[in-house]
Amino acid sequence: MNIVLIFLITIFSISLFFYGKSKTKTISIKDNIKLNALPKFYGYYLVLWCSIPALVFLLVWSLFEPVIIKSIIIETAANQGAIFSDKNEANLIYEKIKAIHLGTYFGDIDSILRESALAYAKFINLFTNSKVVLIFGIIIASVIYSLKKIKNNNKARDDVEVILKGLLFVSSLIAILTTLGIIFSLLFESIKFFSVINIFDYLFGTNWSPQRAFVRDASSITDAEFEELKDAFGFIPLIAGTSFIAFIAMLVAVPIGLFSGIYMAEYASIKVRRISKPIIEILAGIPTVVYGFFAALTVGPFFRQVGENLGLTVSSESALAAGLIMGIMIIPYVSSLSDDVINSVPQSLRDGSYAVGATKSETIKQVVIPAALPGIIGSVLLAVSRAIGETMIVVMAAGLAANLTINPLESTTTITTQIVMILVGDQEFDSPKTQSAFALGLTLFIATLILNYIAQRAVKKYREKYD
Amino acid sequence: MSSIKIKSKNLNVYYGNKQALYDVNLDLNEKEVTALIGPSGCGKSTFIRCINRMNDVIDICKVTGNIEMDGVEINDKNLDVVSLRERVGMVFQKPNPFPKSIYDNISYGPKIHGKGETKSELDQIVENSLKKSALWEEVKDRLDEPGTSLSGGQQQRLCIARAISVNPEVILMDEPCSALDPIATAKIEELIDELKKTYTIVIVTHSMAQAVRVSQKTGFFHLGKLIEVGKTEKIFKNPDNKMTQDYITGRFG
Repeated sequence: MNIVLIFLITIFSISLFFYGKSKTKTISIKDNIKLNALPKFYGYYLVLWCSIPALVFLLVWSLFEPVIIKSIIIETAANQGAIFSDKNEANLIYEKIKAIHLGTYFGDIDSILRESALAYAKFINLFTNSKVVLIFGIIIASVIYSLKKIKNNNKARDDVEVILKGLLFVSSLIAILTTLGIIFSLLFESIKFFSVINIFDYLFGTNWSPQRAFVRDASSITDAEFEELKDAFGFIPLIAGTSFIAFIAMLVAVPIGLFSGIYMAEYASIKVRRISKPIIEILAGIPTVVYGFFAALTVGPFFRQVGENLGLTVSSESALAAGLIMGIMIIPYVSSLSDDVINSVPQSLRDGSYAVGATKSETIKQVVIPAALPGIIGSVLLAVSRAIGETMIVVMAAGLAANLTINPLESTTTITTQIVMILVGDQEFDSPKTQSAFALGLTLFIATLILNYIAQRAVKKYREKYD
Repeated sequence: MSSIKIKSKNLNVYYGNKQALYDVNLDLNEKEVTALIGPSGCGKSTFIRCINRMNDVIDICKVTGNIEMDGVEINDKNLDVVSLRERVGMVFQKPNPFPKSIYDNISYGPKIHGKGETKSELDQIVENSLKKSALWEEVKDRLDEPGTSLSGGQQQRLCIARAISVNPEVILMDEPCSALDPIATAKIEELIDELKKTYTIVIVTHSMAQAVRVSQKTGFFHLGKLIEVGKTEKIFKNPDNKMTQDYITGRFG
């Protein structure tokens, strides 16, 4: 029904565009009036007036219709004598009524349900009909209003600008509100978690074993259980594992990325650059899950094999394998960003250095890199925050056990891996185990936020210097 | 009459398919200021960039013909560009100090060429260079501040100090005053007068008045050709060529 309505509104709006355009043209010719805007602006004006109020109304109506119908139906069912003690039972009855209406209910239908189903059908009908009537009413009213405005030769151009500005504003508002919503949901769930687990136990505990708290209602936890849970949520092994893997990744990505960036910016001929830059950037386009199984199925076993030959114990899921592959994944970020900042070091600085007799590598080492350093640091920090937030590779290649270790050959785990482990499969939403995922998410979010902030400050500082 | 320091013979320069200089034959005298004038894009800058081989930096640039300094061919691919540029310094149109301290800006060149082994030797070079470029008094108390914190005119004198820090024989100046105000310009011109006692100087300029004030010899370029060259006085008072006459009287360019 809604789709048909949207389709009708669209068709109607488009035809109004042409009507408005030709109408204003004829008016201006017939009455020899100078129009306040081009005829097409009157067309846009009509389109916007015809479509936006109707669409907004449709959206709001669709949001509230189910809620209103539900409360009415539950009330009528109660009046008929249906008994339910809490919200969940009321919901169950409502779902039954809906199923009866749709003909997909196969249980016993008593008189209360039958009556309620009839009432439901009646209300659905009523609401749908009034929706259609109201929408057409709104369209007609707004079209009449806008046509009248057009006849008065209003400043359609300015009005269209205002409406478009409003549309753009609403779009950005949606983006901002979504971000805020995510942050607050993280925050509230984390607060619930920290009401059970002391925040200091979380931040400084060295033992992570959340499965101990599996399916345990946070609101009805006993003192004995609490004591047991106290040291199950230690954050230290996770942040250690995360930093360790990110560190290995950086050991790979920073030198290779930076050197290839320098090569691309300073040495490569235009022809080489044109071919090799996109190839490096393809690395950034490979889905991380592909890197992940490459790390888990190829690199991990390879390291174990090599380790065995050397007489070392290497876990087949090792920090080294995950870090190495993650580093390779990050190379294009470092190389392409540092290539850009090196390129934006003004040629005049290089000329100044060449002119006193410096060679190319001396110039790069002593003039270009120091000048580009803030930007390079920024690109490295962005890469770090990517490494910390990376999930797929570590889930597949780094292991699940929260070992507090600095041996790269052992398996270790990261924040993101643990979030995945906690939230896959069945879970109880009141359990501290599930809520700990939100606390981890919040911690991770704050960490990457700080890194990104520092990185952007560094990049900005660099930009100010040469613009 | 001083001796000839640099001598170009049938010098041609191409940027890709476009020819920028046509058979330029120009002699530059030792310890004298030679001014190169002419409308934009006429090849003046291209010519001076041949003297320290700065055109090497541009991939598509090709130089043919001869250019000699003290009888040694510069345009020879076996020539050591590093030691050439040690002998031929350059000052650019826009002041381009490195984003380093004032001290490091000057000590950069000497360090690269292994001059000034000890700290005190380096200090001496920095002080001398700044004194020669008439900047010492203004910056002696803040040598560790960034070179970019100086005013435009001071930055340009810093660049001149940087050029003379490696003790060159020739200094090339590519419109050194075009980004400066008249007071800073006057200071630089004064400085050029002083420097010509020690160095051979070539200056590209768009200001006729500046050419008259600072130079002893003037060359007029037009569309990549050297139209006329001679004593500055003669070029501005009584040029042989009609085109030179038209240019210096402001009829074109």
